[in-house]
Amino acid sequence: MTTPTPPPPPPAPSAADGPVSVAGSIAAAGTVDARKTYGIGDAQVHALDGVTVSFETGKFTAIMGPSGSGKSTLLHCLAGLDTLTSGAAYIGGTYLASLDDKAITELRRTQVGFIFQAFNLVPTLTANENIRLPMMLGGESGDTAWVDQVITTVGLGDRLRHLPSELSGGQQQRVAVARALASRPQIIFADEPTGNLDSVTGAEILDFMRRAVNEFGQTIVMVTHDPLAASYADRIIFVGDGKITGEMADPTTDQVIDHLKSWT
Amino acid sequence: MSAGSTALIARKSIRARWGRTLAIGFAITAGVSFVVGSFVLADSLRATFDDLFQELGEDVDLSVRSAQQFETDDARDPISVEIAEPIADVDGVAVVEPTLQRYAQLVDDDGDVITPAGGPTIGVSWLGDDGIQGVTIKEGEPPTGPDELAIDKATADAEGFDIGDSVSYITDVGRFEGTITATIGLGSGDSFGGAQLVALDLDTALEHFGADGMVDAIDIQVAEGADIERVQRDIADILPERTEVVTGEQVAQETADDVNQFVDVFGTGLLIFAFITAFVSAFIINNVFQITIGQRLRELALLRAVGASASQVRRMITFEALALGVLATVVGIAGGVLVARGLIFAFDAAGAGFPDTSTVLAVRTVVMAAIVGVGITMLSVIVPARKAGRIPPVAALRPEVGFVAMRTRRLVAGVVLTIAGGALFMVGLFARPGGTPGLITLAGGGALVLFLGVASLSSTIARPVTRAIGWPVQKLFKVPGALARENVARAPRRTSSSAAALMIGVALVSGAAVFASSLRSSLVDALESSVTADYIVTDRSFQGLSPVVSETLADVAELGAVTPVRGISGQVEGDTKNFGAVDPAAFEQLIDPDLRAGSIADLGMDELLVHTDPAGDLDLEVGSTVDVVYQNGVTGTLTVAGIYGDAFFGNWLISLDTLESVSTAPARDFFVIGKLAEGVAPAEGDAAVLAAMEPFPQANVQTNAEFRESQEAQINQLLIIITMLLAFAIAIAVLGISITLALGVFERTREIGLLRAVGMNRRQTRRSVRWEAVIVSIFGALIGIVLGTFLGVVLSLAVPDDVISQLAFNPSIIVLILVAAVLAGLVAALYPSYKASNMNVLEAIATE
Repeated sequence: MTTPTPPPPPPAPSAADGPVSVAGSIAAAGTVDARKTYGIGDAQVHALDGVTVSFETGKFTAIMGPSGSGKSTLLHCLAGLDTLTSGAAYIGGTYLASLDDKAITELRRTQVGFIFQAFNLVPTLTANENIRLPMMLGGESGDTAWVDQVITTVGLGDRLRHLPSELSGGQQQRVAVARALASRPQIIFADEPTGNLDSVTGAEILDFMRRAVNEFGQTIVMVTHDPLAASYADRIIFVGDGKITGEMADPTTDQVIDHLKSWT
Repeated sequence: MSAGSTALIARKSIRARWGRTLAIGFAITAGVSFVVGSFVLADSLRATFDDLFQELGEDVDLSVRSAQQFETDDARDPISVEIAEPIADVDGVAVVEPTLQRYAQLVDDDGDVITPAGGPTIGVSWLGDDGIQGVTIKEGEPPTGPDELAIDKATADAEGFDIGDSVSYITDVGRFEGTITATIGLGSGDSFGGAQLVALDLDTALEHFGADGMVDAIDIQVAEGADIERVQRDIADILPERTEVVTGEQVAQETADDVNQFVDVFGTGLLIFAFITAFVSAFIINNVFQITIGQRLRELALLRAVGASASQVRRMITFEALALGVLATVVGIAGGVLVARGLIFAFDAAGAGFPDTSTVLAVRTVVMAAIVGVGITMLSVIVPARKAGRIPPVAALRPEVGFVAMRTRRLVAGVVLTIAGGALFMVGLFARPGGTPGLITLAGGGALVLFLGVASLSSTIARPVTRAIGWPVQKLFKVPGALARENVARAPRRTSSSAAALMIGVALVSGAAVFASSLRSSLVDALESSVTADYIVTDRSFQGLSPVVSETLADVAELGAVTPVRGISGQVEGDTKNFGAVDPAAFEQLIDPDLRAGSIADLGMDELLVHTDPAGDLDLEVGSTVDVVYQNGVTGTLTVAGIYGDAFFGNWLISLDTLESVSTAPARDFFVIGKLAEGVAPAEGDAAVLAAMEPFPQANVQTNAEFRESQEAQINQLLIIITMLLAFAIAIAVLGISITLALGVFERTREIGLLRAVGMNRRQTRRSVRWEAVIVSIFGALIGIVLGTFLGVVLSLAVPDDVISQLAFNPSIIVLILVAAVLAGLVAALYPSYKASNMNVLEAIATE
């Protein structure tokens, strides 16, 4: 699969004091020598052991690695959901460590979108309300035309007024993707977004994410252990034992499988 | 940050979880209803009595009565009916109505007295339609002459009397017969506050009641256009000494105030229990919010992840509580009005005979309802909301992180609260800064703080204690029993908080039980050691016994010593004291007042026996003199002839002769005591006394043992009333256990599904949930019993030794409480166990 030429990225925040750009394009997010340690003494586990990585704006990047490799921790720390033990994580021009809880919340609401494996939606709100949730929390209606366009693209039709419990797993994930897109975040983080779905529905969601990158220039970082899912990305970063063990540009499913085989 | 979004999410959340919402709402509503009900009831009664006495006195412009030297609860001295004549001649006086109220009681065809359910039996004088008192004719014509009478319509209806019937009635001086000419009521009501009323014309009343030409007061209506103040001055000029003329308004107000004193005490008593109920509700609300926040952990974390700030999450939870609190308060106010109406209806049905009662919902009541309803909800949600705010966003993916973040340090807070609460309680009871209000505030507040402390501390012992309680359950019910035991023990915090509400209820009941037992045994002890009388004759009529009763008893040959006990109030150094008056020679044989100095039998004219406490306060010893001003203005000097230690008959005793020399009122006896003569068998004496008292149905003859039993029965009754008032709080506590359990079942859906899948049947499932509830209830009850016993002991120790001299415990009450706790657990488990056993196994297993 080849990478289509991305449209111009959305206006980036001032990079003057921000992290270094990589390979000529602007980095939407990244880490510098990120370390995350759990426990103390002999029981210490290094979930992240000096990870330096950056994610290009307007690109779809996959992070792959076996269970316990640290890929989810990396995602959580990048997204400001969790904090690093040492090193730095940044989104756009902002180092997360410099922010207090209030500022990080604000950042998550305006600059970051999330898609989780499951339990993505507030069960008491309708699909429509869930999509608009980040804007509602900020007390704004958002870019109405854009939100409408996203909702149309989701294609839920009259099910928009339904509660999550009345939607199929695939429909719930589509609502989650739409919510992530609706606030036009700097970057979307997806944590095994298709892990709970059958292959056909999973492919639908991945297609939808791919189109968001292609058509809207959205930056997406996705953690997965599914080679087929990873093949939708522009670039794969392989993680093992808390370190970056390799990367691959414009991957195909077979290439990914071959790479994974080489680990064993 | 948008208030709109948090409100929306909160609203949706309330709607989506209506079962839980309803349960919390009910807890708030119950507390608020009780508070509102107490206020509305007291306010309504107060307004009713104010209106009633105003209405009754409407036509009375002035009233002549004997003056009192100082304010006292004593009945005023009567005045001579002859004053009425010169008053009638005063220019501007239109109507003069002497009023008289004495003992009179109807007798049925079989010659037995008719006793009303709760009220007194009263005879009055009545001028009929010409009169200016508020008595109204329901049917018939006013009685005239010695052979006619009117009775109240309520009694006529209840006993089936009709106009024209001939009926007998008993008074202080004998038995009379007359024809009923009218049924009467008080204003618009058919009854006189539950009293049985016999009304006679003035001359007949004076004669049949043995009034000896004396009446209670003379009511006056002035002619139209006359200057009331001028008439009042003119009447005052012709009145004999120690007689006064006051306005009808003043009399109405004084009467209303007297009645309202009781209403106030009654209302305050109810209110205390209302606040206890509200306090217990707060525990339930807090617990439910705490649990549901745990259950909604991922949802709340998700909100945080997509950009809700910690304060927005806190606000959301707070808003949910606020909306619920407001709604439940509104419902609670309506419920409270219904409660009050229901109680008034119940009193009425029980024979209190209130006139038409208006319902008064004062602004103050609504404000208090809002403070209680919204206040307890908001207070209950402070901690849960703060915990919700602490949930990190990453908990949406890793819930275990969230649970760690929500933990709080309860141990330190629990220890601090327990010690502070206990200290406040004791300081309030023993040091009593600020008098009675200080005592109530400190002791009450201290007890509440103590409850909070013990509730949070109890989680530390929840695991071992519930395991111990659960041991027999496990032995008895095998696997379901073991599951019940483990489920209780594995969440000690939840166990202790859901048991906390029940703990408070049980603590109050068992505290009251210890207090009542101690009071009872102290009383019995005092009666046994100090009362050597064989018979105690008390008064049923609420008007005092006629001296004829004691004179009749004194003539009974089987009795050796008899004395009436009378009284008068007088001021000593400006403080009002009640003086009891007895026949010293008889009294010495009948009562052993623990004499410390002097002698009883020698108590002569103008001599005094005084209790050791006031003797100490006033530095009195045998031979000291005390100047007294009696309520009728008579002054005297008493010489101390003895000092005694047992205050059973009050602190000041004089002889009947001394009383007679200073009193200006006809004698009325509080009670009469007597002793068998030497060598007379009790059965013989009983028969003689009963025979002698046959013409005096108002006299209640009790043997020493019967009297003691009736005193004990009164204390038991008090305990029963307290327990009934606490029943509301206990019902809410049981509801709390039920909600907690239902939420626990919901949380364990998957686990229960698994158990069912591997072969546990419905019955076993129900059983395991049921016994879980019972273990929690017993746990709450046990801590409550321990805490309550402590409170009861401290309270009993704080009461002066005169009243409570020894501690006593009643093990049967503890057993009863434990049995009730098991029942409470079974009731609480009804819904949760049904829910657990009716789960769809496949769906349950699929639940995440």
